[in-house]
Amino acid sequence: MDPFINDLIVYWPQLLAGLERTLILMVIVSLTGLAGGVCVFYLTLVKSSILHKWTEAYISFFIGTPLLVHLFLMYYGLPQLGIRLSALTVAVIGFTLNVSAYNARYLATAYNGLDKEELEAARAQGFKHSETFRLIILPQVMRLSVPSLTNQVIQNLKDTSVAFLIQYHDLFAQIQEIASSNFHFFKAYMTAALVYLALVSIVVLAARRFERFISLPGFETH
Amino acid sequence: MALIQVRNLVKKFDGRDVLKGVSIDLYKGQAKVLMGTSGCGKSTLLRCLNLLVQPTSGQVIFKGEDITLPGVDVRKVRGEIGFVFQHFALYRHLTVEENVTLGLRKIKKIKSREASEKASYELNRVGMFEHRNKYPAQLSGGQKQRAAIVRALAMDPDVLFLDEPTSALDPQMSREVVTVINRLFLDNITMFCVTHDAFLAKYISDSIVFMDDGVIVAEDIAERLFYESADPRIKQFFMSVADHR
Repeated sequence: MDPFINDLIVYWPQLLAGLERTLILMVIVSLTGLAGGVCVFYLTLVKSSILHKWTEAYISFFIGTPLLVHLFLMYYGLPQLGIRLSALTVAVIGFTLNVSAYNARYLATAYNGLDKEELEAARAQGFKHSETFRLIILPQVMRLSVPSLTNQVIQNLKDTSVAFLIQYHDLFAQIQEIASSNFHFFKAYMTAALVYLALVSIVVLAARRFERFISLPGFETH
Repeated sequence: MALIQVRNLVKKFDGRDVLKGVSIDLYKGQAKVLMGTSGCGKSTLLRCLNLLVQPTSGQVIFKGEDITLPGVDVRKVRGEIGFVFQHFALYRHLTVEENVTLGLRKIKKIKSREASEKASYELNRVGMFEHRNKYPAQLSGGQKQRAAIVRALAMDPDVLFLDEPTSALDPQMSREVVTVINRLFLDNITMFCVTHDAFLAKYISDSIVFMDDGVIVAEDIAERLFYESADPRIKQFFMSVADHR
């Protein structure tokens, strides 16, 4: 048997544990990133110019700087200020801050395409700003943003591999460990690529089904 | 006393006077049409009356209360005024019935079942019942506007504002909508309608107000304003409207 395959069998429990951690991180940050994105998007719509500027600064900062920098800043930088966080905590916080900024931007882009007369109609009917957001704006921008939001979930899945650099033992960390022990770097990283491709394919299929499920006449996204 | 009394209303946009001291009364059961050239301030006036646009100065007295004063519950006032938009403004992620029931459930706090029954009744009145489960994207322009009228009427408003309700429609669809609004007129629904459509104006109004450059020039019944007015601005406007038709 190929020694690399043999190693995969030997390391199978660790690989499965790594895969589980990868999926856990992806699911958590996709949900928290979506919730955070909705909150940040809401703040972009408030009338307060100061709040608006802070929100824009937040989005610009997290879109304009690498995710790895945020993770390193929290994992290696914060301990110098006396704050120590676990790798998972840093990963969840770092990814959430980053993904929220991207998701907020996707939602804001979809918002620009909304018919503003609908929002005026909601005001004319007597809806509060928060009700208009919840009942009129959000259901529409979410539908219009589904392709971007699902692409972000795929991006999240791939980006989880960065977390191994802060000692988070995800799938990529386990593969890295196998590669370091047997020096079959090409086979190891090719295996990692194939596993990520398989996972992404599953997410893509699920996303397409979801898109069809929530599609309405006038909201076809493809 | 008038349902709505407008006194010396002024609205400035970027230093430009759009409304220059407009005064007008609308009584319960009265249907008034506001006409005038594009950009004369008609739609701005309509939007000032439910504070979608904040007037610069002047008074809007609705049911005896000056709603331009601070502390007024603007959302309550808006809930008592129905508004129909030029481009329908239906919530396009909701079906026709959901468009009608949303305000009933969330603003009037009516239970879903009652709201649905009321929506069905009102939609039936304008021949839209069979389209109740369709989304706006599946409707013609005339059907959209009829749905929008029902959405406004279902809230049992004291007055219905209509902003160019037929101008985004072709003649066939426009006639559908004129028929519906004419029925409201015959039912003595209080209406204030902005339009360029002389046909609509004639069939749904007790009187027509003519506006030019932010001021009211004349107010009279349709026949006298259309055919007997000596004011050159009014003559020219109705000639151009007739040419357009």
